[in-house]
Parts: sequence; structure tokens; C-alpha cells
Amino acid sequence: MSSAVHQVAIPVDLWEEEVEAVITTWFVSDAAQVDKGDLLAEVMAEKIQFEIVAPVTGTLAIVKHQDQLIDKGDVIATITSAPD
Amino acid sequence: MAAKERKLTVARAMAEAMAQEMRIDEHVFVMGEDVGPLGGVFGNTRGLFEEFGAERVRDTPISETAFMGAAVGAAADGMRPIVELMFVDFFGVCFDAIYNLMAKNTYFSGGNVNVPAVIMTSTGGGYSDGGQHSQCLYGTFAHLPGMKVVVPSNAFDAKGMMTAAIRDNSPVVYMFHKGLQGMGWLGTEAGATVNVPEEQYTVEIGKAATVSEGEDVTIVSLGMGVHHSLHAAAQLREQGVSAEVVDLRTLVPLDRDHIVNSVKKTGRLVVVDEDYQSYGVSGEIIASVVERDMSILRSPPQRVAYPDIPIPFARHMEQWALPNAEKIVTACLKATQNDE
Repeated sequence: MSSAVHQVAIPVDLWEEEVEAVITTWFVSDAAQVDKGDLLAEVMAEKIQFEIVAPVTGTLAIVKHQDQLIDKGDVIATITSAPD
Repeated sequence: MAAKERKLTVARAMAEAMAQEMRIDEHVFVMGEDVGPLGGVFGNTRGLFEEFGAERVRDTPISETAFMGAAVGAAADGMRPIVELMFVDFFGVCFDAIYNLMAKNTYFSGGNVNVPAVIMTSTGGGYSDGGQHSQCLYGTFAHLPGMKVVVPSNAFDAKGMMTAAIRDNSPVVYMFHKGLQGMGWLGTEAGATVNVPEEQYTVEIGKAATVSEGEDVTIVSLGMGVHHSLHAAAQLREQGVSAEVVDLRTLVPLDRDHIVNSVKKTGRLVVVDEDYQSYGVSGEIIASVVERDMSILRSPPQRVAYPDIPIPFARHMEQWALPNAEKIVTACLKATQNDE
């Protein structure tokens, strides 16, 4: 009966090179309700944009904001799912 | 519970509008450089090639004269082309098709030929791309009769005005600012990414919008300038000055009534335009107010526009020349402190 916190991380294989990436857009606000599979954010590495979708349903807490630099593996948000 | 958010970037909003209209109208097709598998260098045709294929989403050679002429001809022959010329700066090579054919054929034919083409193009600088990739040239298109000209400042308007533009029987020039698109390498104004309904809708061409109410001074702007103006209005509020921000949204036909009504209320006018200052949009806005009723102005109108110089490449020089919130604040304070 407890809620669970899930991490939204940049997949470590999203792009190949060791390059700087940036969060270009958050499509949802901090503390918003999101459903599994919802488009959450776009990130850009070397002028290529990648989509980040919600891994679970729950309440979003943004960790890394728009225009912040990110690396592969970084946690950019957490999603707290409702108690079972 | 509040309605679920559905924010889109301007780029996604444009693509969604085109896709939805292409699904219901087989006459609509898209043409331009890299609009196909790449999805447009500014992201605004992403997904179209995959859904509609190469017949309706046509990559062209870098031959603007040819594909602009083809679009104008196709429109006169009953199609509804959406044609992109990547940067507004490069229109010079294909202006005959636009100025002498697209804008005039309805008139020349006594109203017997419609030219329902949409020309979309990117405007604006701020990211050091040099003087031939950074201009706005709004006035260049708005000056010549025969074309409607729209400049959305956010994703909601971008979608609704694209749908309206495609359905319009007149040619429409649809100008989008690169800094509002949601492309990371350009930087993106967060205020442009707003909630957008999934279903189709139109935003009427020719209607301005008051995006922030105020009492002391009217700031009139378009595109990226609307966001600079909103940031300036927030700073002015802290200094006790209440600024009203009017987003033109459409340059042709210009919503002069809306502008005049706002200035009637505030008595002061500041125009913000990233296009060159002289012989352009900012002068037209001021003239529109003064011609109607000079007595409503309590102080001389001010402009924050691009100086009459080629756009510098060097970052500190370009940033010096661009409109920004600080310059708008200064202009508004000058307008409100120079009262009679």
C-alpha cells in the first residue's frame, strides 16, 4: 500500500558519441499527472532530437530543467506512482 | 482534477495542423528543402513523410525559383500547396513568382483564379548565424498587396493559424521565428510551448490578441518580440508601471482597430519589432494610430526595432542589436515619464 518513486533517466545508449546534450522542451509541468507512455521531454544531442516518454503512470517531479546540459544516464525527473 | 496538459512546441503544432488537414483534403501537399524524411530543419514537417509519402511530401532541390513557381502554378490549378523556403533571407531568388504571380493573379484574372498557397519560412536571429540567416523581413512581405501574412508567437496560434492558412483561398505567407520552434541548438523561448487541443481548430487570420492587460502603456509586437514584451511587462509591474501587451499575430490584414483601442486606453505606445526599423512594421503601427486619432497619445510613440544595419555574426555585436526586455522597459519608462 505504499507509493513508489520511479526514475526517468536518459538511456545510456540513446546516442553513441560522447557529446553534450541538452533538454530542449518539457511538454509537461512539474507536479503534473502523467500516464505511462506520455511524451515528457525532448533532448538534443548533436542537433538530433530524442523523445523521452513516461515509464510509469504517476506524479512528475522535474529534476533537470529546460536548457540544462545532460549526460547519458542522468536522472531528469522522478515519477511517484499512486499506492497499489 | 485539472484537464491533462497537452503542451506542444511550435514545430509540433505546425506539423499536427498540416497532418490533420492533409488527412481530410487530398489537395494539400508539402514541398521544400528537407521537408521529407528529415522533417524540416526546424522540425515543423516531422512525421509527414512517414504518413503521407513522397508524392505529397516532396523534397526539392535547392532551386527556389523552380519550386516556388511550381507551387504558385499548382495553387492556381486547384491544389493547396504548402511550400517551405527554409530561411526568409533567401527569397530574393524567387520573388517574381511571389510578387508578380502569386500576389497578383487573383486580381489580374478579375477574381476568376484563386491562389490558395501557403508559403512558410523561418525568421529571426539571436544565435550567431550571420546576416543572411537571421533577418525577419516582415515588412518586405507585408508591404506588397495580395498576400496575407501571419506570424504566430506560440504553439496554440501556430496550429490554428496554419489550419486557417491552408483553408484560405488567398496566398498566405506564414512566418515562424526560429527561437520559438523548440529546437535546442537555437535556444527556445519557453513561453511559446503551450497547451494545444488535439482536435482541429482555426485562429482567425487578421485578429490581434491582447496577451497581457495593462493601463499605462501599450506594447505592440509579434513573434519573438511578444515574449520579450511579456518579460518586460513583468519587470515594469515591479516598478509600478502597468503595461498591456498586444500580439499582432497577423500583419496582413492588420488589426488596426485592436491596436487603436488599446492605445486609447493607455495613451502610450511602444512598438517592438525584430525587423529593420526604417520603412517597416514599426512605422506602420505608429502611423495607423496617429492617422486615426492623434489626440489619444499622451507621449511620443517609441520603437524598439532592429537598427538599420546588416546583422552581425559576432555574438556580442548581434546581441547588442537585438530587441530585448531591457530595451523595452527603457522605452516604456520613457513613454510614461514624458507625459504632458
